Amino acid sequence: MSDPMIELRGVTKRYGDVLANDNVTLKIQRGELMTLLGPSGCGKTTALRCITGHNVPDEGEVWIEGRNVTSVPTHKRELGMVFQNFALFPHMTVFDNVEFPLMIRRMDKRERRERVMEALRLIRMEQYEKHYPREVSGGQQQRVGLARALVYRPKVLLLDEPLSNLDAKLREEMRFEIRDLIDRLGITAVYVTHDQAEALALSDRVAVMSAGHIEQVGTPDEIYDYPQSRFVADFIGLSDFVEAAVISLDSAGEMVTVQAKGLEILISGRRNMSPGQSVLLFVRPNDVELLPASSEAGTNVFLGEVEKMTYLGDRNDYRIVLGDGLRLRVQTDGKVRFNECERVKVYLPPALCRVILE
Amino acid sequence: MTLVRQYLRSLLNARKLLLSTFLLCFALMIYTPFLIIVFRSIGRGWFGRLWLPPEYTLDWYQWAIEVTDIVGITKNTLIIAALAVIMATLIGIPTGWAFGRRRIPGKELLMSMILLPRMIPPIAYALGVAQIFYRLQLIDTHFGVALAHVAVCAPYAILVLSATFEGLDERVLEAASVCGAGTLRSFFHVVLPLIFPGILSSMIFTFTTSYNEFTLTLMTYGKDTTTLPVRTYLAIGEGYWEVTSAMSILLIIPSLLVLFLIQRQVAPEKLVGGFKGV
Amino acid sequence: MRRGSTRRTVLVTLLMLLPGLAGFFGLFFYPMMVTVVRSLRPEREQVGWTLEHYIRFFAEPRARDVIVLTFVLSIGATLLSVLFSILLCLVLRRKPRGNRFYRLTMLIPRVVPGLIGALGLLLLFGSRGWVNLFLLKFVPFVNEPVTINYTIPGLIIFYFWLYFPFTAVTTLSTLEALDPAIEEAAGVAGANRWQTLRYVVIPLIMPGILAGSVLTFMAAFGAFSIPLIAGGNYRPLSVEIYRQINFTPARWSAASARAMIMALLQVAFLTIYMRILRRPTA
Repeated sequence: MSDPMIELRGVTKRYGDVLANDNVTLKIQRGELMTLLGPSGCGKTTALRCITGHNVPDEGEVWIEGRNVTSVPTHKRELGMVFQNFALFPHMTVFDNVEFPLMIRRMDKRERRERVMEALRLIRMEQYEKHYPREVSGGQQQRVGLARALVYRPKVLLLDEPLSNLDAKLREEMRFEIRDLIDRLGITAVYVTHDQAEALALSDRVAVMSAGHIEQVGTPDEIYDYPQSRFVADFIGLSDFVEAAVISLDSAGEMVTVQAKGLEILISGRRNMSPGQSVLLFVRPNDVELLPASSEAGTNVFLGEVEKMTYLGDRNDYRIVLGDGLRLRVQTDGKVRFNECERVKVYLPPALCRVILE
Repeated sequence: MTLVRQYLRSLLNARKLLLSTFLLCFALMIYTPFLIIVFRSIGRGWFGRLWLPPEYTLDWYQWAIEVTDIVGITKNTLIIAALAVIMATLIGIPTGWAFGRRRIPGKELLMSMILLPRMIPPIAYALGVAQIFYRLQLIDTHFGVALAHVAVCAPYAILVLSATFEGLDERVLEAASVCGAGTLRSFFHVVLPLIFPGILSSMIFTFTTSYNEFTLTLMTYGKDTTTLPVRTYLAIGEGYWEVTSAMSILLIIPSLLVLFLIQRQVAPEKLVGGFKGV
Repeated sequence: MRRGSTRRTVLVTLLMLLPGLAGFFGLFFYPMMVTVVRSLRPEREQVGWTLEHYIRFFAEPRARDVIVLTFVLSIGATLLSVLFSILLCLVLRRKPRGNRFYRLTMLIPRVVPGLIGALGLLLLFGSRGWVNLFLLKFVPFVNEPVTINYTIPGLIIFYFWLYFPFTAVTTLSTLEALDPAIEEAAGVAGANRWQTLRYVVIPLIMPGILAGSVLTFMAAFGAFSIPLIAGGNYRPLSVEIYRQINFTPARWSAASARAMIMALLQVAFLTIYMRILRRPTA
């Protein structure tokens, strides 16, 4: 395991009474795209700004490339950064904006021009070199921001909600452009966003944050399929939560029977569970299957009634009541539709019903 | 590594010290002139190279009040200011209403025009005012001087009041009429309370402006309408620094009082210029 | 809307504008016209046109001195104001301790009657004033009180003291309107504090500084009560005007001509100011 590119060690930052970062520890590997994901106020931007140096942590250290940079000022950290509101210099042309970091580094004029044009070609905006930021669109401004951040070939790129100010369609396009650029340059990137779809689509790994600390770090798959806390399960994708009590375990300890609201459910369990233990289950609404009421009975097949049905175009969103008042949200594709007050059979695939350890 | 941080922190503190010194010097720069006036006005025997007067006395104030008829002069100043306020407000309210509530072609241009008397130094048109007033025999009358002041007071009044009226939401009036209030009722119970702070603001601005006005007063005053600024000027000419200082303190106190009143209500930056549009 | 009520609205609006317009014309425009006419008439005559007052003014070598003096004082005060305001505002925008107090202090010279300020400054910089006491005591090579009052540098200091708030207020508001992300971006890109100031901040606040400095310049150019009591033998244009009518018999036409010259120059500056404001801010 090689040395991490960026490391936050026990970073704590307070603003008055608010603990924005609480003992945050994170390792970001060379060449990976790590996303800090969480709702507003979770501390993701604070953590990012500790990496950039805009925030000085009250406790803890920031290490970049094996150096302790905690007290190194921002302008000496050799990072690239892209901002939510682009932060282009309004009084400079696109060319001058991208040239700025090279000018600061006293590169000679000819070489500067080459590098800038190279960067502009990379973002496909060479023809805009003499334009001013206010004369180009939001998406183009963000690309210029990218170019400006990358023109001096930093080892690390930081992105602070770079797509939040763009409209939905543009956001999707830009997502792939950014990922593509980062891959091509082999750069390490830290991405901050509150949009979980973005995080799952873009990242190599995701750090889910809440209230100043990291809830879970993992690949998008791990986060989605195996959330380790209720918060993460709830924040990523849709979830149904069921409080249940363990009844029995199978011999291998892998499948567990639990009881919730009068129903016996078979779930994929964990090793150290014991009968009587209360657990929190979760299952994704679109993993639950709906069958006609006349279907055969079976394990994890329960009879229920449709309480509410919402048509969403490509999907149907149901609220189903089962057992002693267990309410589940279920989403299926639009092909078969069940109406409100209709009786229906609900199948919970055991492998996809998981336990959250709190 | 903690040593580095300690070193940097001390550097930062040094900078803080530098900044504090700079700000302190700035405060001194602004306040010492007034401080020295105060000391001059209560000092006795302050000759030679002394930082502070050796003895203190209120004689100068007494002299100022007795010999220079400060009571009469203050009365003049206040009467003129009151007249100027009334006239400026009477101009300001309808004009402010029109600017604030009606679309007027070339409003920006008109606004700039209104502010012209404040942008062009009064001495330039005070000449004309003086000549006109001579002909109309308005020189050395309270009304005349107040009228001259209106030229510089009204722009303020108009500016503040147009902002006030602009801020008066139509919908509040509509709500009032829906609730059943007739025009007169809604005027007294709804409109008036809403615009009152604005009117008060403009009156305070106008009062201060007239109270402190010098140039226009100089061109239109006479022995019966000497105001505090003019009398202070004459006193400076006479060369008795002590009495002049006493008079200045007496002159300045109402201004300062008003400043403290205002600074809670209105953003003081508006007093200084840089108005929108001009 | 019915046609009748639109007409009524227009009528009411016009009626409401009447006092303001009447005031403007009666107390400003008409007096200005009187001054214009007076400046073109022979002294103490009611008929006839002449340009002699203007010609005579420009012909006198003194006239050039007066105009040069007025510009020197105004430009000097404005330059000092700009430099000081930039420093002050850069300090104040970080909201240091006592920030509200200092922002209020910044306005003091504008809310206090100029005469009083001038009096205080005269006392302060006089040969027995605190400034000289300080210099004599703490500065080694000063053995005699330094004459500051009634000199040109002294006047520039006085003007600066009185009129810097115009520049400071606009500089501060422009500075605070600056998006902090822009400075952060410069920092990340490798620019240290000075480079950020020089390449990013100052260019972006320049329009604000300019706007404020034009206000300072115009105020200094038209300053009257200050040079009247603190100018000594130096008489800028405004005092020159007043001096003309203090002769016996009073020279109203000569004074009016000078007033017109001053007013025209001020209008020119005002136009420049408006032009700066209109320029699309970055």
